[in-house]
Amino acid sequence: MDATVLLALRDPAGVPFYPIVFQILYILTWALHAAFVLLSLGAMGLSLYGSAKGNQDKHWSILTPHLIQTGKISVSILIVLGVAPLLFTQVIYDPNWYVTNTLSGMWIFIFVYTMIVGYCMYYWYYYAHKAQRTGHSLIGFVSFGILVFAGILMHSFAVTSIMPHDWMNMYAPNGIVNTSGWTFNMDIIRLAFMVSLSIPVVGIFLQNYSRFLSTRKDFDASFISYSAKLGTNFAVVGLLISAVLFVLWMLQIKYLFHPVSIATIIGVLVLLAMAKTNRNSYYTTLVLVVVALLISTMRELIRFDIMSALGYSIYDYPMNLEIPSIVMFLSTFLIMGFVGVAYLLTMAWKVGKREGVFDGSKDVVVTKLGQATLYIMIAWMAIYFAWGIATLFKNIL
Amino acid sequence: MDIIGQFPLFYFPEYGSAWMMGITGTIHILFSHTSVGAAMLFAFLSHKAYKENRSDYYPYMKKYGMFLLIFSYVLGSITGPGIWNTATAASPRGISALIHNFVWVWATEWVFFIYEVIGVFALVYFIDRIDRKTHLKLTYTFALASVGTLALIIGIISFMMWPGTQAYYATGSASDAFFGINTFPHMFLRIGFMIMMSGVIGLVISSSMRKENEELSNELSRKMGYISIIGGFITMFFFVWYMGTLPENAHAVFAFSKDAIIQNRIILTLVFIAYFAIAIIKPKLINPVIASVMIGVILISGLWSGEKLRESMRKPYVAGQYIYSNQIISRDVPGKNIKSELPIIAEKGLLHLNPFVPARLKTITDENRKDAGELLAKMACSNCHSLEKTGVFRPLKDRLTGMDKEGIKSILYAMGEGAFSYMPTLKLPETEYDAIAEYFASLHY
Repeated sequence: MDATVLLALRDPAGVPFYPIVFQILYILTWALHAAFVLLSLGAMGLSLYGSAKGNQDKHWSILTPHLIQTGKISVSILIVLGVAPLLFTQVIYDPNWYVTNTLSGMWIFIFVYTMIVGYCMYYWYYYAHKAQRTGHSLIGFVSFGILVFAGILMHSFAVTSIMPHDWMNMYAPNGIVNTSGWTFNMDIIRLAFMVSLSIPVVGIFLQNYSRFLSTRKDFDASFISYSAKLGTNFAVVGLLISAVLFVLWMLQIKYLFHPVSIATIIGVLVLLAMAKTNRNSYYTTLVLVVVALLISTMRELIRFDIMSALGYSIYDYPMNLEIPSIVMFLSTFLIMGFVGVAYLLTMAWKVGKREGVFDGSKDVVVTKLGQATLYIMIAWMAIYFAWGIATLFKNIL
Repeated sequence: MDIIGQFPLFYFPEYGSAWMMGITGTIHILFSHTSVGAAMLFAFLSHKAYKENRSDYYPYMKKYGMFLLIFSYVLGSITGPGIWNTATAASPRGISALIHNFVWVWATEWVFFIYEVIGVFALVYFIDRIDRKTHLKLTYTFALASVGTLALIIGIISFMMWPGTQAYYATGSASDAFFGINTFPHMFLRIGFMIMMSGVIGLVISSSMRKENEELSNELSRKMGYISIIGGFITMFFFVWYMGTLPENAHAVFAFSKDAIIQNRIILTLVFIAYFAIAIIKPKLINPVIASVMIGVILISGLWSGEKLRESMRKPYVAGQYIYSNQIISRDVPGKNIKSELPIIAEKGLLHLNPFVPARLKTITDENRKDAGELLAKMACSNCHSLEKTGVFRPLKDRLTGMDKEGIKSILYAMGEGAFSYMPTLKLPETEYDAIAEYFASLHY
């Protein structure tokens, strides 16, 4: 693919805002999405071990249902968080996104239904485990396998999208057009590295879990200590595995001495030290977020360099500034998004911290956040209709 | 070098690729509409439960919520991006046009989605863990967030039909594209359907509670019957208004099957009025099996046919009446500096301009004419029609039965002159007309 073709594949409508903003949003939201992908993978995988152990072990009989629940909620969150990077990538990297979707159209379709079957089975696993029905572990294993397969498909799309040199050959090998949509590509080291991250992520999650529950009187101290140690072991061993795979990946693509790669390795080492000592896992989580952002940046850097070398720079994308809708997004994101999510998370935190019923009406922070969220949403609706009616009047009267 | 920004083609044999989006879309509509409707229903029930001290409503809401988690927040939330993905594979430039016009609208919807997804878990799992006043407020915000997602997506899907006025073409503004004359009728038509669906699903839950509490089950089934009737009425009312806001080409397609559609809608209306009336008068007669079957009836007889119709009525366009279903830009949009590709295609041909056509097919020869014709047919026709002799989805075999090469060519010429309002006005060089006609003729439909 030469520059002329790649540039022609950009949408003629142009981008509605500065391309760098989409690039930054992509990096941020992919990191968020990946965090929940890894947490769900780790929590689901570990729950299978607990599930196979049965209810004999007193610690695992508490931990397993919590891991299953964590996996279940994480899948929902990863799906919704995954929408954003999907959105931002196709605004600036049209050739990569659209070519991949068409070349792998059949896999795209299969991916959607694989996710549906895998996630429905996961709910089945959740209920079967709760009722301790025979075969619940098997259901868990099958659903885990299906969801991992969906992840591999997503990996294939990502790999195909950064192979512009080969697109023509994938579509029309030897000049014979293939419209079947069965293109599938893998990069084993890259995939192994990404999957390996689920081990330290679930490890640090367990450290947080233990820390969070340590103030609850209905949880035994030995359980708190057990889950913290388990978390530390997973975090340390997982980080070592991930570090080796990351170095191999960087060596493979010759990026080992790139500043982003070096910063990632330093980040992993800091994370290793913090996870090993486990003084305060909440701070460890903050460093984990930074490392996730660095990995997301590395992915973007690889794609950016591949495309730039071919003469496609996202920064040269023609722009048609679109002010009203970005004002809507920013104000909704910064005001409603932050206040609303703060409201839900504060409530969840306080509910989780105590036994019995939490009386939010007597909690000043929860009450005020709830009230603010409600008023902001009502105001949002009023502005939406006023804007729509004014636009319509302008255009039809 | 002359190039138009067309992508590789994905074609599913016998059916085409658009049906994949159709199936995913129909499933998504059922779940997403139920989700928004249920959010409104929860706010209503929570309000009543709080004001009238009806603590017996909470177990119902919890049960409904658990059902909703799987029904809407597994199936609905996966098929949401699923439509996007499958539509991208089938109509990359159509989706690209929507993305590049409405990216911030979609991003705003994403903020509401995040609130909705975290909110639904809080709403369901905290029902016994937080006080009722806080829960009530949570249901209000959840309902508003859910309606917010509709408010944001509706302008985009309305634009797919048409921008509603000429303003968008001149300004290129997302507001002018979003708030067309069909946006609000379309929005309230869907709100009506959402309310109705919340009642239809509610009947499955209420009827399944009969053993635990018969009196409550009957009371709630009656309520669901009333809610469904109100929702159904709103749907019908705004459907009529919505139809009046659609462009001429939509009505031209509608006219083909108007009588059958009206007959189908009358039958469905009567069946569902009877069903809801039974729920109100004799709630004992409703059981979870009947209630589930009725969801299936809505899915197959109502939604699938309705979505197929909406998709057909957009023809020949896929978005904003400036991109044809076959991914060709068919008019200028000065507000966005977009130029029609029809003149250059008429002059140089699709094979020459499409960057993914292999070198051996760039120039038509006696040796490659049939292969070139096949590729051209896929590029120009397969988004709407299956091409094979055994094709299933809007098959060309039914339209070109028994025709020879010259007969087929005459149809292609007529299309190039814009003879059919629901078909693309696609003028091609003579060599390409000839290659397509030869390919179709070789299939002996």
